Amino acid sequence: MKQVGLLVDVTRCIGCNKCVDACVMANHLGAEHHIPQQEADGLSAQRWLAIVDAPQGGFVRKSCRHCLDAACVSVCPVGAMHKSPEGIVLYDKQKCMGCRYCLMACPFGIPRYEWDSPTPVVGKCFFCYQRLSEGQEPACVEACPQQALTFGERSELLNLAHARLRQSPDKYLPKVFGEFELGGSALMYISNVPLDFLNFNGTLGERPYPELTWDWLSKVPAVTLVTAGLMTGLFWIIGRRMQAQLAGKTQTSQPPEEGK
Amino acid sequence: MNNTLRTWIKDGLWAVAFAGLVAAVIRFASGLGAATGLTDATPWGVWIAFKLCFVALAGGGFTLAAVVYIFHIESLRPLLRRAILIATLGYSSFVVSLIFDLGLPWHMYRIVNWQDRSVMFEIAWCVILYLTVLILEFSPTVLEHPWLQHPILQKIAHWLHQLTLPLVITGIVLSTLHQSSLGSLFLIMRHRVNPLWYSPWLPSLFFTSAISAGMMALVVEGFIMERWFKRGMRFELLTLLGKWVPLPLGLYLILRLSDLFLRGVLPGALDGSWQSILFLAEIFIGGVLPLILLGIKKVRESRKGLLTSAVLILAGIVSQRMSLSMFTMYQAEGTHYFPSLSETAIALAIPAAAILVYLFFAENLALLGAEIPAPTDISTLDDPAAFAKQDTPGRAIFARRSGLAIFVVALALPLMFHPPANCNSQPTDPATLTKALEILPPSLLSSPASCNDRAATPVTPAKGWDVLTINGNNANYTVRFTHQDHQVFLTKELGSEEAACQTCHHLNKPGDQATACSACHTDYYQPQSIFDHTIHETTLGGNTSCTKCHSSVEHLPLTSVICQNCHTGMVPQAGQTAFNMFAPSYLDAMHGSCLACHIQEAQKQNKPELALCTTCHPNGQSQPNQTTANLPKP
Ligand code: SF4
Ligand code: SF4
Ligand code: SF4
Repeated sequence: MKQVGLLVDVTRCIGCNKCVDACVMANHLGAEHHIPQQEADGLSAQRWLAIVDAPQGGFVRKSCRHCLDAACVSVCPVGAMHKSPEGIVLYDKQKCMGCRYCLMACPFGIPRYEWDSPTPVVGKCFFCYQRLSEGQEPACVEACPQQALTFGERSELLNLAHARLRQSPDKYLPKVFGEFELGGSALMYISNVPLDFLNFNGTLGERPYPELTWDWLSKVPAVTLVTAGLMTGLFWIIGRRMQAQLAGKTQTSQPPEEGK
Repeated sequence: MNNTLRTWIKDGLWAVAFAGLVAAVIRFASGLGAATGLTDATPWGVWIAFKLCFVALAGGGFTLAAVVYIFHIESLRPLLRRAILIATLGYSSFVVSLIFDLGLPWHMYRIVNWQDRSVMFEIAWCVILYLTVLILEFSPTVLEHPWLQHPILQKIAHWLHQLTLPLVITGIVLSTLHQSSLGSLFLIMRHRVNPLWYSPWLPSLFFTSAISAGMMALVVEGFIMERWFKRGMRFELLTLLGKWVPLPLGLYLILRLSDLFLRGVLPGALDGSWQSILFLAEIFIGGVLPLILLGIKKVRESRKGLLTSAVLILAGIVSQRMSLSMFTMYQAEGTHYFPSLSETAIALAIPAAAILVYLFFAENLALLGAEIPAPTDISTLDDPAAFAKQDTPGRAIFARRSGLAIFVVALALPLMFHPPANCNSQPTDPATLTKALEILPPSLLSSPASCNDRAATPVTPAKGWDVLTINGNNANYTVRFTHQDHQVFLTKELGSEEAACQTCHHLNKPGDQATACSACHTDYYQPQSIFDHTIHETTLGGNTSCTKCHSSVEHLPLTSVICQNCHTGMVPQAGQTAFNMFAPSYLDAMHGSCLACHIQEAQKQNKPELALCTTCHPNGQSQPNQTTANLPKP
């Protein structure tokens, strides 16, 4: 399957929040539910999409990026966060055990938790996977009156984005946000205002986050074998030496051979 | 230590455990939000930090197993059983704590799915397997008990003895793996962890520091057990641990500092922030100083010297783990986390219970020496008569602990249980609320979600006619507002009844007249939207309707036309304009319309009581002679 994507054109967004409403309706997220644990950006376990005001003006969509190599997917111990064949990061509440590692690891602070429930689940955008499988576009894309959101194959969206940048270079910052950051993401932005506040500030680098852990985890099998081998070997060698020593002590006439 | 003191200490531990039990009930009944201080911005807290420490203190288990079985250093064998027990309890604490921490612990079995890229998956498996190994390693000690001399049990004990070596090697491998992996949990949180604590070498740091902490935990435990049981210290062995601990500890310090140096972060340690001071204290007081102390033979071989060094090392390592995972982690992001009371209670109850279990085993098994003490044996150590009277397991002690339980539960329940904060204002249709947020001024949006400060408080409309009873926030500090009198007075002052009404009734909702205050000022403390965007949009023709109200493509309240362009009857008061903006909170609105006039009339009519809070709020919380003039101007 081809990697899908969603392109956000920040210059087109008028902040009408219709996408948010559509997301709420399509995914039955229910009435807004304020809890003390939630953040001011508007995202919560019941709100997977928010339009936030950029500090330099303008309205910017905040939601899951669907990272190509997603931190949340890599850390989830039970595979509740997983990738669909289309490269969409899905969440399976039947598997989640609620460790909140995904909340800790997501470099963009996207997944949110149902703090007020005794059976809490994680909430985040899943690109309306059920609508996609019915051949529809994501609800937010369909609802946008300004065509600020474009859904499609990621490579095509990248072409589209670059075409728009070429067409009106003075309208946009010369960059597709999300093309390379942390290995790239399915949600991408072209914008006239800097998106530093969405952690697109260059400090995260282009190396996918999961590789930070993989550096260690890839060594685990080797460490296992080496430790096991070393311990068995040491046990045997030292044991033999000590026996030899004991033998040497009892038979003083025959000193133990050195170096064995 | 005498027996009374022992009983009191045990009582204390039980009390903490009982408090934890209360908190546990709250935790599972009402969810993590009600029981903890965790939030979306700070999803891990003190439980995780403590877990890291439990496992560090348990590091003595695999260290001693390696020393005794693999390196054949038989002289340390007498410490082995204790090390294994401490490790078992440390890991059990880890697992128990995890059950509280997980939102859906009954999904834990899902780790059967293979997830080789998840550190937590690896840790979970290592912990489960290692705990099993530990229990198997420890069970021969339990099976020595005179009550368990059944032939089948003895056969099991015999098999387990045969299995010792494979068990030990498995245990060492598992420990090595997950002690290191515990550190690598934080590798992927580069954006959260403070740079002074972050390191790509966290796995090695956690491994070396766990060995050091495990060894030093044994030293401290030795001292405590000696005071408790008057024996079991084996000082010469503890000195041996003190002699060798500089090896892992030194390695840990060298690794930690050289990594920081190589990555150029070390200068950050000198910037004078509290984090840098904590870091320096960790390195020097909790690392270098005990290293030097233990290097001196005379210090190492003195009781005080050894104990001091051990405590310092433990403090240093505990601080490293707690700082990494808690103290300094969120500060870097400007978020704040503080554990709640029930969260702390659970965090402390787990080690308290572990200590009680330890004492139980130490009292009943041959932990401290080779011989098996009869349960009554302990009592002969100190004043036996007193001990028998006060600490005999039996009815007396049961009654004592039950009393304690009732006391603690009665105390803890009201302290810990808060009915879930209800931050919802009137049931609003989601679309309207989104709109409300859109229309709120940025200052309100940038403050943490409105509910962080104060729960939303729906306003109850005033009741009555000539005299209105205003009980706006339903807190029964009612204001009796003499509506009729105000009307008469204002009519006299302003010359017309219409002008009098308009003084307060400044906006009419479409199709209404003299709309009541509570119709727009719907929340007691917070500004609320008075404009339903969706209804307007739908009525005007959906997506094509934007430009009917918004002059520019910029879709802001400010770019839209004012309400009375269409709703001509909306504004009765001269000079008033109705924007599709938010209405101030009820409290601000009431004070805003009453105060100025009251202060003015107090002077004009020379009736100072008119400006007193108590004039309107006779049963309120105001000071008797507090005047309205001191109130913040709306
Ligand atoms: S943005 Fe966060 S939650 Fe979304 S895929 Fe990336 S890591 Fe996962
Ligand atoms: S909270 Fe759930 S989805 Fe997130 S990492 Fe843990 S188990 Fe996976
Ligand atoms: S793609 Fe679907 S789930 Fe994601 S923000 Fe849009 S509407 Fe919501």
